Amino acid sequence: MEAKEQVKTTAVKGTDMARKVRGLVKNIYKSAHEAKAEGKKVAYFMVASQYDEIIRAMDVVPLPTENYAGLCAAKRDMDRFLLKAEADGYSQVLCSYARIGLGFDSLRKELGGIPEGAPDGGMPVPDMMLGSSAVCDPRFKWYQAAGRYLQVPTYSIDVVAPPVYADLNAVRDYYIKYQKEQMQGLISFLEAQTGRKMDKERLWETIRLSDKAWQLWYEIDRLRVAIPSPMPTQDHFSIMVAGHYYSGTQVAVDFYQGLYDEVKYKAENSIGVIPDEKYRILYGGGLPPWHTLWIFNYFESFGAVFVIENVYRGYDPVEVPSHVKDPVEYLAWRAYLRFTQRHEKARANSGNPIVERLLGMIKDYKIDGVVFHACRSCRATTVGQVHLKNLLGQYTDIPMMQLVSDMVDLRDYSEAQWKAQIGAFIEALAGRSA
Amino acid sequence: MPFAGIDIGSTMTKVVIVDRKETILASVIGPTGVEHRHLALKVMDEAIGQCGLTFEALDFIVATGYGRINVPFADKQITEITCHARGIRAIFPTVRIIIDIGGQDSKGIKLDTGGKVANFVMNDKCAAGTGRFLEVIAETLGVKLADMGKISLAAREYVKISNTCTVFAEHEVTSRLAEGATIPEIVAGLHESIAGRVVNMVRHLGIEKDVVVTGGGAKNIGLVKAMEGKIGFPVLVPPEPFLTGALGAALLGKGFFDRGMIRDHERRLESVTFFK
Repeated sequence: MEAKEQVKTTAVKGTDMARKVRGLVKNIYKSAHEAKAEGKKVAYFMVASQYDEIIRAMDVVPLPTENYAGLCAAKRDMDRFLLKAEADGYSQVLCSYARIGLGFDSLRKELGGIPEGAPDGGMPVPDMMLGSSAVCDPRFKWYQAAGRYLQVPTYSIDVVAPPVYADLNAVRDYYIKYQKEQMQGLISFLEAQTGRKMDKERLWETIRLSDKAWQLWYEIDRLRVAIPSPMPTQDHFSIMVAGHYYSGTQVAVDFYQGLYDEVKYKAENSIGVIPDEKYRILYGGGLPPWHTLWIFNYFESFGAVFVIENVYRGYDPVEVPSHVKDPVEYLAWRAYLRFTQRHEKARANSGNPIVERLLGMIKDYKIDGVVFHACRSCRATTVGQVHLKNLLGQYTDIPMMQLVSDMVDLRDYSEAQWKAQIGAFIEALAGRSA
Repeated sequence: MPFAGIDIGSTMTKVVIVDRKETILASVIGPTGVEHRHLALKVMDEAIGQCGLTFEALDFIVATGYGRINVPFADKQITEITCHARGIRAIFPTVRIIIDIGGQDSKGIKLDTGGKVANFVMNDKCAAGTGRFLEVIAETLGVKLADMGKISLAAREYVKISNTCTVFAEHEVTSRLAEGATIPEIVAGLHESIAGRVVNMVRHLGIEKDVVVTGGGAKNIGLVKAMEGKIGFPVLVPPEPFLTGALGAALLGKGFFDRGMIRDHERRLESVTFFK
């Protein structure tokens, strides 16, 4: 007996550009296979690690393992990889992105090739794995664990941010010096792996492209303050592919320019995501439910549109001092400024930079309610979420709700419960506007 | 002008009919089965008979509870969170926190000073902290579910049940019995376990007076006492905790009717089957 085919899992997009992202995603894996065939170096890599431009400047082809996990979930083809990792001894409470990655690596090794029918042709064996400590600890350890299946070198860099109450004047130079050393360590590793020296002019070029793309992305999000919303959160979860997986390339710049033009047109002409926008929702945090993105359309059926989100673009553009002339030092400075950009405001108010970001969004985007997504296997975005919600509740009285599942593991998701919670949340919103 | 509320929970179906002055004309509680629609008909029919009305005389019917979408003759469906809030506020106007312990889930609801739902939490998809947890263990112990509250009051101390999984807790209970623990001590331990789990969940909302406990769990005096111990002050319990959702549904129905909302479809009190 075969399993009944799963109904649609993805969301209906609001913008034309978001519909083009599927091609970008397919190209990531296609490019990696082609690069391998051509003898180029391919590296497993992770988003938000602050090293994207370095990898691009070294002409190493990035292969994002977290994205692959999300892709498997969107295709509802994750169980075989999750179960394989669990059969190999990895606990169900470990990061499900990592479990899919490890399970995929394990299966590929066992089968001697890409598992049959793997989404988008699967991931080829990389030449190296580049981990990082940014965001969470599993990202530092994941690739080390993957060494069990892959005989390729691993390099994980430390990405550091000072705590909110640190004396920034006192610690800044130490943080930047350390971050620069970490990045230089990565460059040395890549030089050894590729047999070529880093071209600093080329690195400046990738930084320029990356900054340009992220500036455009920031401006797109500012356009999203428009009422009705010209671009919903489910589109953000698609369009972020350009910023995170094509960072440092002209592809990302061109994509965001196209998206900027479209969103601007929609904002100026009051073209909303749905015809009758009643409630404006903030996705307060937590990784997306990749397995069930259509849930955003379910909210829309009640007139509730997710207009902005606090995930996968955690910082706004920053201005690195003009005296910084070295590109690696620039990257270290930029990382430091990104991570500390709300520290001062937080110290003066809630004490929490994320709460400050959310409060800013609630005000700027005229938010009616906040929804958080607690992912059981993501400690980084879930631990402290209730505290964050409660702290936010001290500064706003708009309804808030926490949905619980996982970013990719469907076993942690209950559709009936989500619908029950969403129904009550919509009634709470309606009660306030009545 | 009568208004009916029907609350289809996982184990019980409840109907309340109120008049224009919000006086309860009839209330009926019956078991819920797999076939919600059939039972909805039966319980509704009994309530109508109780107050000597005809089905056609009902001006507005609101369905709530997890089976609310299966009521073909309802004019509107509203979640149990909103209905409990409305029903409880009619009984206890000073309520700020509602704890509903149902058969399959438990919820915490926070009301603002105006009585509107300000926030809510629900248990995740796990039977621990719900009536179903007690039901399973009652079967293991060979006692009646309805007697568990009184039984626990006979205990001078309780046995700690650490497992939150219903299935594993069942094993744990068996082990404790083998070790010589008494049934009252075990039942008291179960109440402590559920109360701890539910109150901890509701703490996310910030607990403040007055707290009302409702749902089937509120009929269990041992569980209510255990919850009071965790909360630190006495809680209020409605005269008939099973009925607060249906009462709220009926009152909300009256509110819709007063605001000019009329039913937009022909309805008949009929039994509809899922199974062809």
